[in-house]
Amino acid sequence: MRLGWIPVVGALALTSFALLRPAPPAEGRVVDYRFTNAPVNAMGIKSLAELRGKPVLVDFWGTR
Amino acid sequence: MPTAVKHQRELGDDIQVIFVECQGADRDTYEAFAWKMKWMGNAAMWTEERPLPTLGSGLPETALIGVDGTVILQGSPGALGKRLNEALDAEIKKSKQAPEGTPAELKKAWTHFLKGEVAAALAECDKLATPAANEAKEQFNSRMKAKVERLKRLIDEGYVSEADALAGDLSKSLKGATELASQLAEQTARLAEPALANEREASKAIDAALDKVALDKPFEPGNVKKIAALGEKFAGTKSAERAARFVALSKLKIER
Repeated sequence: MRLGWIPVVGALALTSFALLRPAPPAEGRVVDYRFTNAPVNAMGIKSLAELRGKPVLVDFWGTR
Repeated sequence: MPTAVKHQRELGDDIQVIFVECQGADRDTYEAFAWKMKWMGNAAMWTEERPLPTLGSGLPETALIGVDGTVILQGSPGALGKRLNEALDAEIKKSKQAPEGTPAELKKAWTHFLKGEVAAALAECDKLATPAANEAKEQFNSRMKAKVERLKRLIDEGYVSEADALAGDLSKSLKGATELASQLAEQTARLAEPALANEREASKAIDAALDKVALDKPFEPGNVKKIAALGEKFAGTKSAERAARFVALSKLKIER
């Protein structure tokens, strides 16, 4: 019986686990993002750096 | 209604809310959706670009970025619970005072800066001439430069009412701050150009009308007709382009 597929399946399982596992929170990290396309209602703001001095609440959501 | 919309409405300029669509909807779809749900008409911004990676454990997800750009909290709003509101209140408080750890001798400079007295803040830093004072000076200059650049973009994009208000604030703040004041002068000169008069009138009428319909059945035919008529009246202006976009979005079929 050929068992050569076992490492392949193992590698796939590990990759899937790594991809599906929730990422660690970015807490404590400084974020400095510059938007490629200005957001809707950006009112001239193009990057997070321009908002320094003011708290920013980022709400990740979906339309569906 | 998402809590973040309420926060933006209630806290106004004290915070900036950024909504990030994460399910692959295109810009037209999520913007039309937000109008339809009566979530527009406030300062919140809408994008599909993630300014920081999501945790990938489901939506909605919230991240609070503090006044110095550090992520304070990130997670499901339900799981964060009242910690989120407490952290938000603490950051708003921080935004109105000198940063933690500011040397005592620099507090006066920060007090001037936070009151909008930029020239006095810069002068105080020059007087102290310490590494910490130089660092604070750099920060004051960089924040004010960003505001002047924002003013330029507001004019470029035809948000003249908003630009007039910002220019008014900056003129007071930058009085006596020679270098920054001269950068501001370039933009205030643009605002004074007669060619901008029609754009200003359009911005006043259309932006106010859009803000008004945002809260009251935005896509109702009567409202759409009113915005379309304003767009026609001010044809050729940037604000008319925004009116036309609103009319186009109202015609999209959005499922909910």
